[in-house]
Amino acid sequence: MTTMPVRRRRWRNTAVGWSFLLPNFAGFVILTLVPVGLLFYYAFTEWDVFGGATWTGLDNFRQMARDTSFWTALTNTFYYSVFHIPLTLGVSLALALLLNKKLRGVAFFRTVAFFPYITSIVAIAQIWNMLLSPGFGPVNEVLRWIGVDNPPGWTTSADWSMPAVILVGTWRDMGYYMLLFLAGLQTIPAQLHEAALVDGANPWQRFLAVTLPGLRPTTFFVTVLITINSFKVFDVILVMTDGGPGQSTLVLSQYIFQKGFEENQFGYASAVSIVLFAICFLVTIIQFVVNKRRSE
Amino acid sequence: MKRSLAALTALLLAVSGCSGDPDDSEESGPITLTLAGWSLATTPEFKTLADGFKTSHPDITVELKEYDAANYDTQMIADLAAGKAPDVYVQKNLKNFYTYQNGKQLVDVSDVAGKLGPKVGGLSFYQVEGKTYAIPYRQDSWVLYYNKALFDKAGVKHPDGSWTWAEYAAAAKQLTTGLKAKGDKALGAYQHTWQSTSQGFALAQTAGASLESGNFAYLKPYYETALDLQTAGAQVSLGDATTNSLTYQAQFGKQQAAMMTMGTWYIATLLNQQAKGDADTFEWGIAPAPQQTKATTGTSATPVTWADPTGLGINPKISERKIAAAKEFLAYAASADAAKSLAGIGVTPADNSSVADTIFSLKGAPSDDLSKFTFATHDTKPENPVSKYTAPLQNILKDLHTEILSGATPIDAAITKAQDRAKNEVLSK
Repeated sequence: MTTMPVRRRRWRNTAVGWSFLLPNFAGFVILTLVPVGLLFYYAFTEWDVFGGATWTGLDNFRQMARDTSFWTALTNTFYYSVFHIPLTLGVSLALALLLNKKLRGVAFFRTVAFFPYITSIVAIAQIWNMLLSPGFGPVNEVLRWIGVDNPPGWTTSADWSMPAVILVGTWRDMGYYMLLFLAGLQTIPAQLHEAALVDGANPWQRFLAVTLPGLRPTTFFVTVLITINSFKVFDVILVMTDGGPGQSTLVLSQYIFQKGFEENQFGYASAVSIVLFAICFLVTIIQFVVNKRRSE
Repeated sequence: MKRSLAALTALLLAVSGCSGDPDDSEESGPITLTLAGWSLATTPEFKTLADGFKTSHPDITVELKEYDAANYDTQMIADLAAGKAPDVYVQKNLKNFYTYQNGKQLVDVSDVAGKLGPKVGGLSFYQVEGKTYAIPYRQDSWVLYYNKALFDKAGVKHPDGSWTWAEYAAAAKQLTTGLKAKGDKALGAYQHTWQSTSQGFALAQTAGASLESGNFAYLKPYYETALDLQTAGAQVSLGDATTNSLTYQAQFGKQQAAMMTMGTWYIATLLNQQAKGDADTFEWGIAPAPQQTKATTGTSATPVTWADPTGLGINPKISERKIAAAKEFLAYAASADAAKSLAGIGVTPADNSSVADTIFSLKGAPSDDLSKFTFATHDTKPENPVSKYTAPLQNILKDLHTEILSGATPIDAAITKAQDRAKNEVLSK
């Protein structure tokens, strides 16, 4: 008599829990988990979408090893990440510190900083392309006006296209990570700052000894996110330069898209995807290990 | 629990699209075919074909299914793989024909092809090992559009069909200086951003040139011309055109350039835009595209140019009865009747032997003899010769295009690099 209601209640709780989880989980399984699982099979096959895939063992990976375009894409992906990660981290943290003050109109400035993140990437790319246009763009007009005789060709130059894309990528992403940092800043107890102040710490010392350690969980989370997103960068590059000029901004995601959806080599594209997955996975593991060691 | 499982199964089935297709196995009665098209609001040719067919075949209705123009092939390949593609679908160009044909996604329509007259252009491009897999209904060709008013203003003689690329380049420079002297900012020429604006002509006009050979030396003279015109300021540079998202319709239609090479599909667009006021009103004409040598110039010769045909293919997953109906539709689309209807909306049909009068009687169209000659006379080669290697090779040559015209790499070095890539990444497989 007494056990039944408890058991029933437990069962009900489980069911309610599942009912909240299920819609999202079903979508995740069908649209993400199953395709990702299949990816590991297709990477070892040759498949042009129509008909069955032919098992080719490690052929795709052997081909990758001598595929110069793959290596170019890999190098470019690292080039983008090495600059994009610290730059975005620094800019968004600086913005968060700046906008964490109680000043008039702070909500407005926070919105402004967040705006690029919610703007359509196509619009962003179009506007930045015009701003950076070598001949008539306002950026180069200004550069010429302040005395730079030979301003860069930005997206139309093989040497400057990657810096241009990194710049726009950072500008687009900074608002989102600023928001995460702002949330992190709220969790640092004000007493700690007061105590440091009483001890005679200057602002820089307070930043190093109070703010940064207090932000560590947030910084870790943000770093992991930016890292994964940098390695996966796709849309900014596709719409701004389409990988060009030549292959100067070709990155792995775009190479996967090209091989898969333009050339219908889905087996090979899957194999390259696995490499990208492995890179993101490895880097994230390293970050977790480092973070754990530091928190001990 | 059982009920929720059933609901989940239903949901999964609905999401994965496993609902059975309605059976159309009846032996007689009206039949409905679906036809793929893109940008239906601005591309009336699909409706024109469907309506024209209905008048001669009242029992067969052709319904249109819209696709995105820019991602047409990607979407179509996905739909075919999922078994959800329309009954009849368009081969937008030849770049992906190999994928469809080799993937067994096209019905053999040799019987339809056998009954067509010899005047249907582009048919042979769809033949693989003696069998035909699609029927062309339009065959555009690249020609030279020129603005008569700007030529007169600059004091440059109109094209007469005798131009090689050297004469074209000279005229572009003359036009630019002539117009500048008159205070007009328009440039002599506009070359659109596509790789084909240089590579299409190079492949078509150079004897022995072949994409599959992996030898791209034939591209050099064409890029020399393009670079020369960019450096001289007689045409907008590729970088300025891409960063400012220039459209060729505005460049020629708004009189920013005095001449431009472009496919014959632009005739309909230009007429339409001039009528609506989206383009300026000015007198224009078309001339044969500039040639590589004098041998193919002049109105007694046949100028060599290029463009892929646009054709119709049949989805093999449909019923026998539908295939028979679809074959009738394909035969109609390539017929002289359909050609007239297509010409009536400014489209260049595959059989263009008797439609020049229809096109040139449209309001605003040029009426000079050279324009008519240009429209009717040409040796049109394909942009994408059908081969397993075409799509990846074209992607390599796309990189070469931006590399050279951005000035990042000198022509010879870029060609060597593309040849190495072609050998290592594509042809060795």
